[in-house]
Amino acid sequence: MTDDKKADEDILRRAAIDRSARLPVLFFFTSATVWLVVSVILGFIQSVKFYAPGFLDAPWLFFLNYGRSNPAFMGALVYGWAIQAGIGVAIWLMARLCRAEVKNPLTLLVAGHFWNIGVLIGVVGIFAGYGTSMEWMAFPKAVWPILLSAYSLVVIWLITMFLRREAGDVYISVWYVLGACFWFPWIYITANVFIHVLPGAAVAKAATNAWFLSSMIFLVLVPLGLASAYYFIPKILGRPVYSSQLALIGFWGLAILGGWTGIQKLMGGPLPVWMPAVSGVAVILMLVPILAIAINHHMTLKGNHSLVETSPTMRFTAVGTLAFTFFCILSALCAFFSLGKFTQISQTTTAFQLLAVYGFFSLTMFGAIYFIVPRLVGCEWVSGSRIQQHFWFSTYGIAALVGLHFIGGIWQSSAYAQFDAPLENAVSAGRPYAIGVSVAWASIVISNLIFLYHLGLMVLRLGRRDENPALLGHQHHAA
Amino acid sequence: MSSFRKFVLALAATFFAPWLCLIVVPHAKMKAQEISIWEDKELGTKSSYPAGTPNIFRQGQSVYAREGCASCHTQMIRPTYLGFESWRPDFGKEGTRAKPVRIRETRPGDFLGERFAYLGVQRVGPDLSNVGYRHDEAWHHAHLYSPRSKREFSVMPSFRHLYVKRKVRGQRSNDALVMGGDLDPGEGFEIVPTEDARVLVGYLMTLKKDQPLPPWLLEEEEEEKTGDAGEKAKEG
Repeated sequence: MTDDKKADEDILRRAAIDRSARLPVLFFFTSATVWLVVSVILGFIQSVKFYAPGFLDAPWLFFLNYGRSNPAFMGALVYGWAIQAGIGVAIWLMARLCRAEVKNPLTLLVAGHFWNIGVLIGVVGIFAGYGTSMEWMAFPKAVWPILLSAYSLVVIWLITMFLRREAGDVYISVWYVLGACFWFPWIYITANVFIHVLPGAAVAKAATNAWFLSSMIFLVLVPLGLASAYYFIPKILGRPVYSSQLALIGFWGLAILGGWTGIQKLMGGPLPVWMPAVSGVAVILMLVPILAIAINHHMTLKGNHSLVETSPTMRFTAVGTLAFTFFCILSALCAFFSLGKFTQISQTTTAFQLLAVYGFFSLTMFGAIYFIVPRLVGCEWVSGSRIQQHFWFSTYGIAALVGLHFIGGIWQSSAYAQFDAPLENAVSAGRPYAIGVSVAWASIVISNLIFLYHLGLMVLRLGRRDENPALLGHQHHAA
Repeated sequence: MSSFRKFVLALAATFFAPWLCLIVVPHAKMKAQEISIWEDKELGTKSSYPAGTPNIFRQGQSVYAREGCASCHTQMIRPTYLGFESWRPDFGKEGTRAKPVRIRETRPGDFLGERFAYLGVQRVGPDLSNVGYRHDEAWHHAHLYSPRSKREFSVMPSFRHLYVKRKVRGQRSNDALVMGGDLDPGEGFEIVPTEDARVLVGYLMTLKKDQPLPPWLLEEEEEEKTGDAGEKAKEG
């Protein structure tokens, strides 16, 4: 009897915490999703322009040239969607896992508005001709302090939350969220100060840029994504994580190796040879913690694969973590000269970035959003088949995109490697793949339009007033 | 609380090492790069390495950056074990001035004085490390205005917005683009480059990353390549 009472209290407490988190978390999710749709539409445009520069080429549309639309799309995707969705999930996870109600949601809303203004200035700035052409740092120079201060506000809030937590063990997801709190400012300040502020050697700046990109993936996006995966997989299964020892290895392995990666992108470049070499080794060693994480997730899931069929959160999260393992294996393979020389400077670059940002991170975030939003707004997702469509269009889209870009990049690079053949061969080698990629982009655009529509209904409280959650597959609305 | 402090300290310790080694130390060391001057006996001239870059370079590079040229073009010639990419047979068929003095992989010194080394993301168009040798200015202007007029297979976008079409007043401008066919601006009109186009082409013309290396650097390179086998051959 007392147990029942305690369980009831637990549920009430959780509901209260969810209610308190509603405004900031929904704000981050909604604005992130709007940015996602903007960025995938830009992604589609730039993918067509990649092989057909005459597409949308009216004189006044000059700003859509590949050279501007490509960095603008990436900026919108990474800063507008990915990090913002990550922040939303981090806030909710922190509130839940520290079992504390959200105080001062205003701080978070202010931070969210600043972040969005920063991203908007950045994206418009690139189109207006103030971009810097540096990967993932293409926003005009003035933007980074805005983004940094907005993120810092969120960090301060998250840490305050953590320090106010109820006593008890600190869950794995919290480590990862705290890690992302700690790493992002350090990485972001380092890259921007060393590149934009301090005078210095041009080549060292290029290396810093490569390091920044990889560190952002391994030490910001990966921790946020894994925080979500470590929470939702056991949560939905209703059983603990398989091994806390493996979780420890995974976390600290990532922490130790993450900062060393990235410069292998410039192997053979005008840098001291040890720099790309060290990064290459780090990426290969990274397989150890990744293996620990993958085994941990797999063993937790073992025997319950049917849940991947029915639960939207589970399905997105499982496919996302699978994509992550895949990303790490491919990165490790391409750190070797024999494969790396073909993938280093070709379309494959895009395949890697999108596999990490979309294949892994975004899918995991979708999973989290499908779990969190019904608890915030108090109604259920309107239709399981919409979620189903979102999932399949997204998964097929990203799988096709990554596969085509990856193989296309190798093909293109080997055409360039034939130095005595005419240039025409090299330029046209990647073309068929690029056309295929546009089709994949179209599928991703469709999937996210569906998602935006569905989320919009939820935010407007037009969801189902029902006790049964929306499930996937051939579920029967049985008695 | 103390465990939180330990956690943060451990994070700081693990991240500090790569941060120091990959960011701080390279920046500090490369900034202090020395410029060496020597006399080239063959040519009888004084040379310096790195030679640095003219002023047009910086202005042009910012146009290069904001137009996103680096999204498709690299400026990185890798050593031969990663590919042969310094020159192609059909490079510079039209308007070629001269072949590069010596073709070699790019070195850190080649980027002295640049604000950022645009080594490149992917190679959709050709490498531009030595593009200054391949074409003349008129070719570049016509190519930027309409890439397909010069290369049928090109997938480069047109940079028409860097040019203006205007009525000829008095004499035709010396810089006016010479183009036939559909692109001809018509009687009494001319297409002239804006300042941005001028500095961009000026920048492209200065891209010659093949400055002669000082003798001792060359010797080092020679040794690295031949290794022990070379030394034995010398002895023999």
